[in-house]
This record gives sequence, structure tokens and C-alpha cells, in this order.
Amino acid sequence: MSFLGYPRPDGSAGIRNEVLVLPPGLVASEICHFVPGTRTLESADSGSGRTANDRETIARVLIGLGRNPNTAACIVHNGSPGADYPELKAEVLVQEIARSGKPVELLDIAKEGGTLDALKMGIKIARAMVVGASRQRRVPCDDGLLALGVKCGISDPTSGIAGNPVVGYVYDKLVAAGGTAMFGETTEIIGAEHIISKRAVSPEVAAQMLDCVAKIEELAKASGQDIRTVNPVPSNIAGGISSLEEKSLGAIHKAGSAPIQGVLQYGERPKGKGLYFVDNWMTMTSIFLGYAASGAQLVMFQLGGGGLPNWTLLEGVPTGVVPLLWVTANPVTYARSEDSIDFFSGTVIAGEETIEQAGERLYRHILDIASGTRTRPETVRFTSPAQMYLREPVF
Amino acid sequence: MAEKRALKMKPNDNTATVLEEVLPGEDVIARMGNEVFTVKAIEKVPFAFKIALTDIPKGGMIYKYGEVIGRASTDIKQGSMVHVHNLEGTRGRGDLAPKGA
Repeated sequence: MSFLGYPRPDGSAGIRNEVLVLPPGLVASEICHFVPGTRTLESADSGSGRTANDRETIARVLIGLGRNPNTAACIVHNGSPGADYPELKAEVLVQEIARSGKPVELLDIAKEGGTLDALKMGIKIARAMVVGASRQRRVPCDDGLLALGVKCGISDPTSGIAGNPVVGYVYDKLVAAGGTAMFGETTEIIGAEHIISKRAVSPEVAAQMLDCVAKIEELAKASGQDIRTVNPVPSNIAGGISSLEEKSLGAIHKAGSAPIQGVLQYGERPKGKGLYFVDNWMTMTSIFLGYAASGAQLVMFQLGGGGLPNWTLLEGVPTGVVPLLWVTANPVTYARSEDSIDFFSGTVIAGEETIEQAGERLYRHILDIASGTRTRPETVRFTSPAQMYLREPVF
Repeated sequence: MAEKRALKMKPNDNTATVLEEVLPGEDVIARMGNEVFTVKAIEKVPFAFKIALTDIPKGGMIYKYGEVIGRASTDIKQGSMVHVHNLEGTRGRGDLAPKGA
């Protein structure tokens, strides 16, 4: 099957065609305010006072967004508080992003004579890049060029019995087509790791998965807290999920049944195609940015929602260039937020569709969105600021 | 009395997920493929919450998806709702970890 996408020099294909300005902050924001067709990220994670590991994570995220197929061209400035660390130097980011073959320009604040003069130059470059990007046309692209990332959230029992299995069907179909599928949420593997790790392609990958889970559970125990007061979150419990194990056992259904090719760090690019486990944190302001940096052109939020009766308008997520798709199997959630939800799979619970039928419908819907149809969150400008998954102490 | 639908996921499950709100005294028909299990609800169970298919003694393991989702923190009667008031998770329990571990 195919979608209409923007072919990129590295052989990938974008489903959107954005000019990206990085890193986040005043310079990027003001260029983007001035020039339609440009995007940036809202995040305070500059790298300042961060350890080398965390700075590498930030660099992976910025480089990954620049290389993401949805990015047509990119400007990198050196006016961020973290820009003097070796990992985060604008020259380094530019060099790495340029490996994708896309236009990328360095905006040197000092060379331009300060912030305001740099803004003037940045606006000039951005306007030219937007015109250049707009000359590109969508062409038919193989669905094997797609990469997806998923999270299940505000989970309730409809997630485990219908919503996640429908996503899992889509993941299996995408992997069979030669595409890339990512899932994660390490805390929500606890209680299901003995099942999911059996699907690793090798004992090494299985051991890596189990190690990620063991480390998170050790941190939970060292905190001295009953994990149930943290995760499952209150809305999970209000929706009918009784323990972290129950949540995890439902959550793994979104990963379908394909072999797991490897374990990725937050923002790391997969080395090949297929299904990957990402060692990440579940929160929506963090996880989707990581998938975008790993190369996903589209991300999905599989929503339970039963435990959040007052939530009706569903916002987007801070990824810079990657759209979000809201999916739910809960009929109450869907009735409440119909104008925010892109896809409803509660037909499976009502017995009107099988998981396969709903999965085929979702797959076609994804191809439609990949071809240019807007998701509901793409009609809402607001997103909360991004929280990169930085795991080490600050100094 | 009306019959209500529920879903049993695997053969060894001792809970089923109700697919519509269940009221006390109603018969619940839990399906697993072509097999059918009937249980009479002894209390209200909201949509998508779990109902006990058997009696589960305090300390007994509670199963859904064919896997342990926790243990009974009190005796659970067949037909009652299973949730955080009578099920406790067993994983990531920092509150039970030895101090200084």
C-alpha cells in the first residue's frame, strides 16, 4: 500500500514538509513567529548544567528532529545556553543533520552582531527555505517508509481489550510491509516483561529489555513509595485498572506480535526496520518528542479516558514536526471528545467489528493522514512545553 | 433479570471485564471465544471494571490476560467487583522494600 509523501535525499519520505528552527528559545521562536511554514519546539532543556549523558540525549533529540523526514530544511543557531558544550555545538548539530542531505544552515549569533541582527538573518534564511520547501510535491511512497511511535494513556480496561490490540494489528501490518514501529514506556512493562521479552530477536536484546525494566523497578523500590500511588496514575484506577501489572499486561498489546529488533535509548534512531522497544518515560510531553527524534513521522496516543470525565479538548504534543493521532476504544470517551479524537475502535467492544477489521480501518486512516489529511490536534495550536527524558542529576 | 456481557481473556482467568454496567442480582455472561461462563453479580460493577468469576481467598492470586495482576488483600466472593479495595499489586512496591535496600 502507499501514501502521498515528500521524498527526501536520504531515501526517507516526509508526511509533512516543515522548515525547522533549533534549538528552542528566543531566536527560534521569534523566527517562527515571523515566518509562516516554520516550526520549533518549546522546551527549557538547553543542556546547561547537565551531565554528558543527558547532553548527549539532548543532542540526539535535536539532531533527530532535524533529520526527521517531516523536516524539509533546518536552521541551527548557537544562541542557546547549552550551545557551548561539545555535544551541543551548532557546528556539530549542523554536520549531523546535514547527513540527511537536506538543506541546513548555521545561524551564528555573534557573527551577525547579536540577537536582533541574527533574527534578521534567520528570517531571511527561513523565508527562502519555506519557498524552497513549498516547491516540493507529494508523490506516491511505499508504506514501508513509514515509522510510527505509540503511547497508551489515561488507560482503562478498554485499552487492553480493544484499543491496544487494534494498534497492535496496525503495528504487525506496518512491520510486515517493511516499516518501522516503536513502543516503550518501561515502567508499564513491569509485570509483563516475561511475555514481551520472549519476542526479542536475540537473547541479547531480551536481556537488554529485562535490564531496562529491572533498573526502573529498582528505582521505584529505592524511592520507598508504593508504585500504585504513582503509576497506575489516578485516572487509570478511576477507569478500572487495579494494579501496575494489569496496566502493563494491557499495554503490551499495542506492540502487536512481531519480533522485537532492538532496544533504543530516548531519541535514538533505529538501525534497521521492524519493531523496536524504546526505553522511555510515558508522559505525553516527553515520549512523543523522543519518537519524533527516532524518526517517526506520525505518533499515536491510544486513549482509554474512562477515568477522566471532565477532559474533552485533547491537545497536541510538542514534537516540532510530527503530528499526533488520538485513538480510543472507549465509547464514553469518544462521545465526550468526538471532535478531538481521530479514530474510534470501540466498535470491537460493541461486537460490530473484529480487531482485524478495526485495524485495517486504522491502517487506511494512517495512510490518509500520511498523505496530508490533518489530525485533530493539528487544528489546535497549543501544546505544553516538551520535557526531554533526562535521567541524571543536575549540577 | 437482564443479562449483561463480560469478557474473559484466558482459561485460567478468575476475573472478567464487564462490557456494560452491571447491577446487583444481574446475571453476567462472560465469553471467551465460544465458551460462556455465567456469574451472578452481588454488587454494582461499572463499565470495564472486573468481576470475580470464582471465590478468591485472601492472599490468592488474581488473574486476567492469563497472568497475575495482583493478589487478594481480602476474601473476594464470586460475583463481586475486583479493584484496588480487594486487590493489591505485587510489583514495584517501594513501601514493602527493606529500608536502605
